[in-house]
Amino acid sequence: MTRDVLINRRRFLQSLAAVGVAVACGPTATASPSASTTASGSPAPKAVSIEWWRRNYATGTQSAETITSDAAVKAYKDRAPNVSIAIQGGPFGAETDQKFDIAILQQHAGPDVFHTTGGDVLKYAAAGQLSQPTLTDAERNDFNPSALKATTYKGTVVAYPLWIVPWFEYINLDLFKEAGVTPPAYGNWTYDEFLAAAKKLTFKRADGKQIYGFAHANDEFAFMLIDGGRPYDSAIKTWTFNSADAVTGLEKWVALAQQKVMPPDFLTLNPNDSQARFIAGEVAILQRPSAMINVLNADAKWKFGTNWDIANFPKAKGDQTAWGGVGFIAVREQQDADKKAAAHAFAKYLTGPDIGPDLKKQTPPVEYWLAPAGRKSAAGIYGEYHPAKAKVATMGAFTYVLPNVSTWSEIDQKYLRPARDAALEGKKTPKQALDEVATQAQKLLDEANK
Amino acid sequence: MIATAAPRRRRSLAAVLRRYGWSYLFVFPTFSLFVVFTLLPVVQGLVLSLQNARVTGGEFIGLANFEALAADPVFIQAVGNTVLYATVVVAAQITLALVVASLIQPLGPRAHVFYRALFYLPLVNSAILVAMVWRWIFNANPYGLANTALSTVGLGPYLWIGSSDQALIAVILSAVLTIPGGGVVLYSAAMGSLPRELYEAADLDGASPFSKWRHITVPLLRPTTLYLLVIYTILAFQLFERVYIMTNGGGPNNATITIVQLIYSTAFQFGRYGLASAMAVVLFGMALVVAVVQFRSLRSDVEY
Repeated sequence: MTRDVLINRRRFLQSLAAVGVAVACGPTATASPSASTTASGSPAPKAVSIEWWRRNYATGTQSAETITSDAAVKAYKDRAPNVSIAIQGGPFGAETDQKFDIAILQQHAGPDVFHTTGGDVLKYAAAGQLSQPTLTDAERNDFNPSALKATTYKGTVVAYPLWIVPWFEYINLDLFKEAGVTPPAYGNWTYDEFLAAAKKLTFKRADGKQIYGFAHANDEFAFMLIDGGRPYDSAIKTWTFNSADAVTGLEKWVALAQQKVMPPDFLTLNPNDSQARFIAGEVAILQRPSAMINVLNADAKWKFGTNWDIANFPKAKGDQTAWGGVGFIAVREQQDADKKAAAHAFAKYLTGPDIGPDLKKQTPPVEYWLAPAGRKSAAGIYGEYHPAKAKVATMGAFTYVLPNVSTWSEIDQKYLRPARDAALEGKKTPKQALDEVATQAQKLLDEANK
Repeated sequence: MIATAAPRRRRSLAAVLRRYGWSYLFVFPTFSLFVVFTLLPVVQGLVLSLQNARVTGGEFIGLANFEALAADPVFIQAVGNTVLYATVVVAAQITLALVVASLIQPLGPRAHVFYRALFYLPLVNSAILVAMVWRWIFNANPYGLANTALSTVGLGPYLWIGSSDQALIAVILSAVLTIPGGGVVLYSAAMGSLPRELYEAADLDGASPFSKWRHITVPLLRPTTLYLLVIYTILAFQLFERVYIMTNGGGPNNATITIVQLIYSTAFQFGRYGLASAMAVVLFGMALVVAVVQFRSLRSDVEY
């Protein structure tokens, strides 16, 4: 036994030579992640491979999701060289959603870290398939409170808020000038000021071209929040979108239809069509999410501050009158502690303040998709990309984020939207329309709370 | 007698198998594909319709899904819209196909080929593209083609797909105004094989062209009409992409929602596979009943 541990000079030189050969034949001078010790003597991080599932990612394409995801992985590699990340994509839509569901809910396998939105986060949390993030108090305070609330399931934060998409009013300054309307000071206006502006901005030019004061896509219900109406009570147990505040909010929306300040096809105007109308100069005020900034930014004829600006939702009785969606990065619950820890670290990076500056350093610089209003510490860096983003970074707290209810899409699409349409068409009064929805909506809410 | 008949039947079956058994080998691949991709999904759909199935699984709940459908105003509206669409569109398409085929029938062989190709060619277009064109035609704005055309005679503008009163009419019109190329080709081919003697006899009797068409052509085309009626009805019941594209799914106030559109959203947007399967079973039942009624009422022993 003593002979085994003894190292003589010959043996020492043999070992040294072996190390020299190994280093010389190695791919780089960087220490391999699998090395057992570092120069400082502390154990080197263990090599870990994780899978990141990202909607709309397609290797080699130029989609925003592909560019930013590749850049994020590249940037993270510099920070954690021992972690290998494989990205798996899939188009937005039911097919990919089903792929996520089957992998996560049925097979308890698939992604280590993934994107999720809205009700999905609840669905996966309820099935016990999400590994809870460990956020410090400082981190909690840094996140947009609305976004953090939307990530909370039964009192526990179950995923990392990634983006929060507030809706804003995009205004065509040329049309405002043509109609003699003053844009809202600092982007703030009351509902009455907004309605008066929309009326003035609805006019027919001498050449017969009709201009409409206001447009929105057909997937919204924002005006119902304007007087403080909310879909649920604070405990998310009772459907309250037929309250007096919700009804008066819908009445304000109906007034826009009655005044004919919106294009006649506003009930079937999908998001792309509504944006096209604004870009074509047919609509003076367009209600769209913050992503519209990128659309206008990509069009050379649109110059922020020159011919377009951004304004808040018109204000009435409610505090948060705009509304928005949220997206999350989630970590799947699994037995492999190394993968889980690596997935959490990566998820934290994806949703943290460091990724923005990291991506900006790349050649060419890449802008990350974390919304300016996502967390306070990230607002500055995203604002640097565009003055409009700097402006909206301070407007995010104005946004009401819909709490996660797994049956929301059914409530919305099957019952709420038709009721809204009936009121906007004048077939039902706002109260009648909203009251009729309440029973079915409460039933679906109860089902979600089971 | 019975005792002797049985072995003979067994023998004859054995003989048949000996002689033709190998041919089943050729049928097997197609049959197995049919079982795997058609029969089993249908059976699975029936089973799911009796469960509260979601992506995580489900439990047997008997006929609860069907009871929920009976009480669901959106599903009832979808059934009503589907039936209305099918009734108007199938009647119009068959009439149109018959009339167009009759109009090209007296023309020469070259003209036949030309018109059959002309009417059939649009069918190779993507249904999505066709629906997008119709969306533009029935746009609620004055620059929509229908409104532009009507404005020349002082009519409109109408809201079309932008109104819950007119959206379904616009969808029906988009189907009615599309000449059914498949029907024209089938009727045209069937007319070409009708016996000339009957027309010669009618000529001798002094029958008018319309009278010949009414009393000879139309009755002899019953087998083709029955086939088209069944096929067009099933296709109309499956209406989806036209509604999905033209009216963003269900139109204002669910005015254009159809059964298949609701199956799609129920299964893939709301994740209720059991309920969606129950809707599919109802649709299957509707198509079956209508097909049986059509077969019974139009069945004929026409031979020529």
